[in-house]
Amino acid sequence: MFAAVPSATLIGVDGLTVRVEVHVTTGLPQFSIVGLPDASCREAKDRVRAAFSSSGLAWPQKRVTVNLAPTGQRKIGSGLDLPIAVATLVAAGQLPAEAVTDCGFIGELGLDGSVRRVDGTVALAAAIGAGAVVVGRDAAAEAAVVGRPRVLAASSLRQVVAALRGDDGWSPVPALPAPSRPAGEGDLCDVRGQPLGRLALEVAAAGGHHLLLVGPPGAGKTMLARRLPGLLPDLGPDDAFEVTRIHSAAGLRLPAGVMVTRPPFRAPHHTASTVSLVGGGTARMRPGEISCAHRGVLFLDELAEFPADVLDTLRQPLEEGRVLVCRARAAVSFPARFLLVAATNPCPCGGDGSPGGCRCSEASRTRYAARVSGPLLDRFDLRVGVERPDVTDLIAPAGARPPGESTSTVAGRVARARQQAADRGVASNAEIPAARLDDLAPLSPSGRRLLEVRLRQGRLSARGLHRVRRVARTLADLQGGPGPIDEEAVHAALALRAEPFTFEVVAS
Amino acid sequence: MTASATGSGGWRLAQGAYAGALAALPGMGPATLCALLERGAPADIWDSVRRGEIVRPPARGSSGGAGPRLSWAAAAAGAPLERWWDAWQRRGIGVTWPADPRYPRRLLSDPEPPGVLFWRGDLGRLESRCVAVVGTRRCSPDGRASAYDLGRDLAGAGVCVVSGLALGIDGAAHLGALDAPGAPSGTGSTVGVAASGVDVAYPARHAALWERVAAAGAVVSETPPGRPAQAWRFPARNRVIAGLVDMVVVVESHVTGGSLITADKAIDRGVEVRVVPGPVHAPFAAGSNQLLYDGPGPVRDAADVLDALGLVDHRPRRSGRRRPAPVARPEQLRLDPARPAPPPSAGGPAPPQSCSDDPPSSPPPPSVGPELRSPRPLGRPDGPHGEVLEAVGWRPTSLGRIVERAGRPVGSVGRILEELAAQGLFTEDRGWWQRTAGGGGRRE
Ligand SMILES: [Zn+2]
Repeated sequence: MFAAVPSATLIGVDGLTVRVEVHVTTGLPQFSIVGLPDASCREAKDRVRAAFSSSGLAWPQKRVTVNLAPTGQRKIGSGLDLPIAVATLVAAGQLPAEAVTDCGFIGELGLDGSVRRVDGTVALAAAIGAGAVVVGRDAAAEAAVVGRPRVLAASSLRQVVAALRGDDGWSPVPALPAPSRPAGEGDLCDVRGQPLGRLALEVAAAGGHHLLLVGPPGAGKTMLARRLPGLLPDLGPDDAFEVTRIHSAAGLRLPAGVMVTRPPFRAPHHTASTVSLVGGGTARMRPGEISCAHRGVLFLDELAEFPADVLDTLRQPLEEGRVLVCRARAAVSFPARFLLVAATNPCPCGGDGSPGGCRCSEASRTRYAARVSGPLLDRFDLRVGVERPDVTDLIAPAGARPPGESTSTVAGRVARARQQAADRGVASNAEIPAARLDDLAPLSPSGRRLLEVRLRQGRLSARGLHRVRRVARTLADLQGGPGPIDEEAVHAALALRAEPFTFEVVAS
Repeated sequence: MTASATGSGGWRLAQGAYAGALAALPGMGPATLCALLERGAPADIWDSVRRGEIVRPPARGSSGGAGPRLSWAAAAAGAPLERWWDAWQRRGIGVTWPADPRYPRRLLSDPEPPGVLFWRGDLGRLESRCVAVVGTRRCSPDGRASAYDLGRDLAGAGVCVVSGLALGIDGAAHLGALDAPGAPSGTGSTVGVAASGVDVAYPARHAALWERVAAAGAVVSETPPGRPAQAWRFPARNRVIAGLVDMVVVVESHVTGGSLITADKAIDRGVEVRVVPGPVHAPFAAGSNQLLYDGPGPVRDAADVLDALGLVDHRPRRSGRRRPAPVARPEQLRLDPARPAPPPSAGGPAPPQSCSDDPPSSPPPPSVGPELRSPRPLGRPDGPHGEVLEAVGWRPTSLGRIVERAGRPVGSVGRILEELAAQGLFTEDRGWWQRTAGGGGRRE
């Protein structure tokens, strides 16, 4: 007897439809799986047989052959356990073929017969062409965010069989709570002082400008960076689904409402491997941290401590918004369009980098700065010094200084500024092509004069000029004034692009 | 003592009520008050005053023609003693005088002791190791940071930080002490010595600070509650600070600063004085640097102070060498030859001295007649340029810090900095701004 049921496997973050075909023929009892199963997929044999036995199902004492089509593509993971089990039951005549019509299956089987969630459920469910899909109860909400096919949930193989036979019902799919803002993001109004850091966050959020924070340990660089996602608008439906699909594939904990509706914040440590950062892996191609930060913020603390080859791999995603991970057999492209925020000490001694405020030798400072390549540094439209809070601020009597603006106030301005960029026809001001700057970011005469002076003095490079003009555009948008960009916006843009390390390495 | 001192209500009050009332008599100064209180119990002395047996001494000097002088007997007859006492008690204000066991031990041997001290909080703090951190009201951000760090780290080491509750250095030292981590009581020990009454916060901006200091330590004053400070009270207050501590640390002082008086009084008393060195061109450090040049040794931070006090040095020296601790020898030091030495604790109130740092909130009464110099005008440009000028330190200062201090938009600060740099008021070194001597010289 022959049976086939639809299922899916994960390639990177994309689901690939798989047809699970099972032949049960007379002959010596044997169980084989063909069609490029990977190691975990081949182990399905043991899990499925054990699940049969603990579910009180009889394993056919015949020759059982499983074929996973299309045969040219490697099948990865344990999500094919459930479809293999169900197809075997149909092929062995223990389930009527009509029971599985127009129904796909995704799930790992435990030795006790339980049906479990697998990573990438969102992408897998989306790849099922049938009208319904059976998943583990713990994956039901995740599968349901796709909206199609209909989700049928069960906690065990025994329940799947009973429900398909009509002897028992499916488990209810849990209703999704409304998406909520993740707690613990931190509000901007908690930030004491740091006017430059605050402004940089606002500009980064409004214009999509990558941001480098330079300052001594304890200055609050991480605290500032964590407040950036809160300034970004909610993800649109398409982006939210894409990000949810990536997070599901990466096995990240999904929010209560399953759908990731807020821009993510990822902060990999500098000791993280290239694979965990960029993606790849030996068992299957997992998305890396930079893809988990897709449509959100990637925060690299201690930038200079990251290995140079790891930082080098950021160049492609920063340019294309995707990263291509190549392995011997396959190449997988992951989405990776993120806002890059990095932090670094000005020098290795832990000082603030001021003249006279540092104990490093010139040579050790130079070595430290050289760890971050010029091309990567050049990507940061915003480079801002951050310092430990000023005593003046600690002393100011209550009420003498108004408390800092809250995240929601700034986020409102950011949303309006982003709308202005959208009206201009660009995704963000950071992406205004150099050739269109005169058209989209015209300067007032005084602003133009200021930049000319800086260029003549050699304090601004030609490439730096474009970046300063884009940032000035964003600053002007945030202020909301009409007309060409005024001198103070240009001054502010220049102030927000300081030399990150206070010596000449970068200028070359 | 069987004489029954009675208020108009007819019942006898605690001795503190009478001591406080004596301090509130018109024209009363510390020396007179001390001499009076040596005669016996405050209640008995009060009775004598009421009966006209003790009369107001004639005004010293020839500042006549200042209107009729109120006699002590008349003043005492009209004094609502129980109402005062009741109000003081309700506000947690205590009164102590030399014969009272709570009177600070150090002041018992002081050449110019306060006759009466009013206090809020815990007067016992003054019996522990005490260090005064004092300086100018118009200080630099760096000085403020030094004072804050000194306050925090000294209090963290268990030292009681004494200061004058003023703006600038004083306030920063108190705040640092309040923020001391790891201090036994959760907040560091600090005592504020006020020139006004302990319940009259001056400056008003520091009202919250006064409350915190009173809660974490104590606020003390010679001035009766409810009264603003007269001009002569500021230098007089400074001598109390000098008398209460083991060491006076001057952080920043203009050449006419009141903290120089504190240092002077400390040297008179054999109390060690130390100075935090300041930039040589900076007007706000001209007085403290002169003091440093005259003899007292420098300190950089709390570790240096603890070291000089003979307490444990908390951390390894930043360099291998140890400095021999210079000790100020009082008899060798004459801080300011131009300023006559005060008369050694004769009768009468402390001689009035001008104190440009601490302008009083009310004009002084004619009887004491101090010459109060009005605060010197700040010789800085008006408006935004002045704010930015003020925000840049004499040490390299980052743009972010300048923006933070000036409280102006980044773009505006950037433009003004560049304009002022063109005038030679600043130098910029790879993103760090610094005032130049030329700019400072023009300023004051
Ligand atoms: Zn260094």
